[in-house]
This record gives sequence, structure tokens and C-alpha cells, in this order.
Amino acid sequence: MIAQRLGTTALRRVTAAPQNAFFTVATQKLTEEDARAMLDAQRLKRPVAPHLEIYDKKQTYFGGSIWQRFTGMGFTGLLYGYSLAYLAAPLVGWHLESASLVAAFGALPVAIKAAAKFVVAWPLVFHAINGVRHVAYDMAWGFNKATIIKSGWYIWGASIVASLGLLLL
Amino acid sequence: MASIARPMLLRQAAAASRLSAAPAGPSLLLKNSARVAAFHATSRRNILPPLPQKVEGGVNDPVPVPPPSPSHGSYHWTFERLVGASLVPLTLTPFAAGSLNPAMDAVLMGLIVIHSHLGLQNIIIDYLPKKRTPKSRKAAMWGLNVATALVALGLYEFETTDVGVTEAIKRVWHA
Repeated sequence: MIAQRLGTTALRRVTAAPQNAFFTVATQKLTEEDARAMLDAQRLKRPVAPHLEIYDKKQTYFGGSIWQRFTGMGFTGLLYGYSLAYLAAPLVGWHLESASLVAAFGALPVAIKAAAKFVVAWPLVFHAINGVRHVAYDMAWGFNKATIIKSGWYIWGASIVASLGLLLL
Repeated sequence: MASIARPMLLRQAAAASRLSAAPAGPSLLLKNSARVAAFHATSRRNILPPLPQKVEGGVNDPVPVPPPSPSHGSYHWTFERLVGASLVPLTLTPFAAGSLNPAMDAVLMGLIVIHSHLGLQNIIIDYLPKKRTPKSRKAAMWGLNVATALVALGLYEFETTDVGVTEAIKRVWHA
């Protein structure tokens, strides 16, 4: 660390010292149009604003907020995919009626059935509980950073326990 | 970290000196950006390319305020919450009652389709801003409308010719 610090400091001195011969700061007269054109060109090089890498992973949005969207989109994908496939099934010759689904699912090994049930049950329970929390946020309840973090942990715990319970139904 | 950072800094410094050594200074901007680059502690990482953008108006223009429209604003927002909140009892009912009658099943699925449609609209609005990608935004919104209409038709078929969604899930669950 110290070696790096020294290197950085030295480089800063070299690159930034005002008496450095490499860089002489010069001003130049620009017309208003030229200045505007330079500024426009610079503004177009702005970085992407919602940049994934700049988010601090310890912040509250990874606890529940973004998972609400992930779980919701998982179910939406399932619903849209199944409904469209069901609509197309007679044309393509697929069998997606409930009776064939029951037969196909029943033929799977128990471990795979349990895993598949958990994969469906957890997002449902999580989305439901966390959705209630979001409605509470909208009414300005529990909208305090410490409370958000704590309730986020409760929701993760409760959703895992409840979805394991759903497997026993 | 140090071994990664140092060559990078050195490279930047070398690039900077090469730039400044060029006899006819090409542009002040380039020279200064090389100087500034040496100060940046984090590297630039572009995961997604920036969306197309154009500069409109001056630097000091205020942000345009859209005309107020409750049906796109507060009414829409409240409607979205009401749909979401009403799904809570409707989702709990089949667990308590064992199943839902066909009418309630249709109500539940109708609300879920609306809820999904609004959620997908929110995602499109977030990731395809109208200002930057007006055409993709319009295409995505209309594509979603078509998809939702077809999904509703498919669900209508399922509800009327099959056993209903809650009953089907129950049968698969106990299979």
C-alpha cells in the first residue's frame, strides 16, 4: 500500500505541479459559438447514468426493492409464456392442458418436484410480503433506513420459511 | 491492487507526456483531459453503451415540466396500488378455501394480468427513456399491448375450456 501511495504521489507531482514544463496552462479566446460547440461535444461524452457498477452493494435496494422486480418479472414471464403457448398449442400440436401438466409433473422424481415447487413458491411469497411492505412505504410507514434493513432481513427469513412450508401442502 | 493500479497510472502519465510532447498542441481539451485522467481513482467501465443523446437548448435552461395529467400521474399510481393491494386477499383466499370458484378465478387472473402489464410498462419506461429512444419506446409499448391482449385471450381460453388457474396449480402441486 505504501509503495502504491508513493508511486501515486510522485505521479501526481509530475503530472500536476504547476511549475512542470510539460503542462503549461494557456487560455485562449473563444467565440460564444465555439465555446457552445465544445460544451455540446463534451456533454455528449457523458457516462451512462444508471451505471450498474456504481451501486453500493450494501445499500438497501439490494435487500428487497430490486428483488421485487426480479420475482415479479419471473412470474410475468411464466404467465405470458404459458398463456401464449396455451393459445398456440392447438396450432402447433402441444399438450399444455392441466391434465397433461399434472401427468408430466407427477412423473418427475421427488427431489426435482420439491426443488421446482420451491423455485415457484419462494418468489410468490417474497413478492407478496415485500409488496405489502412497498404499500406501507407508500403510506410512509417504516421508511427509515434502519427499519428498511431490518424488515428486509425479516422478509427474506419469512419468505424462505413460508415457501418451505408450502412444499408440505 | 497495487500491481494493477501502478502500470495504469504509469501508462496514463506516459500518454500525458507523449501528448504534451507533440509539437503543435492539437487541442487544449485533450491535453487537459490527460491531466485530469491521472487524478481519477476509478477506471471507466462501460457495461452498457450510452443511449443516443442530443443536446437540446442551452446549459441554463430549466428542466421542462410536463403538463399535469392525473390519469398519467396520481390516478394511475393509485390504481396500480389498488390492484396490487387487492391481490393480497385474492391470493390468500384459495389457500384458506381450498380453491376459487370460476368467477373469482377469472377476477384473480384478470387482476394479475393488469398487475403484470403495469409492471412491464414500468420497466419499459425505466430502461427506454422517451427522450433518448423514442422509437424503441413506442415499439416496446405496442409490443407489450399486443402481448397482453394475446395473454388475456389465452387465459380466457384456459378459464373456459380447462379447470381454472388456481385449480390447475393445486392439481399440479399435489401431483
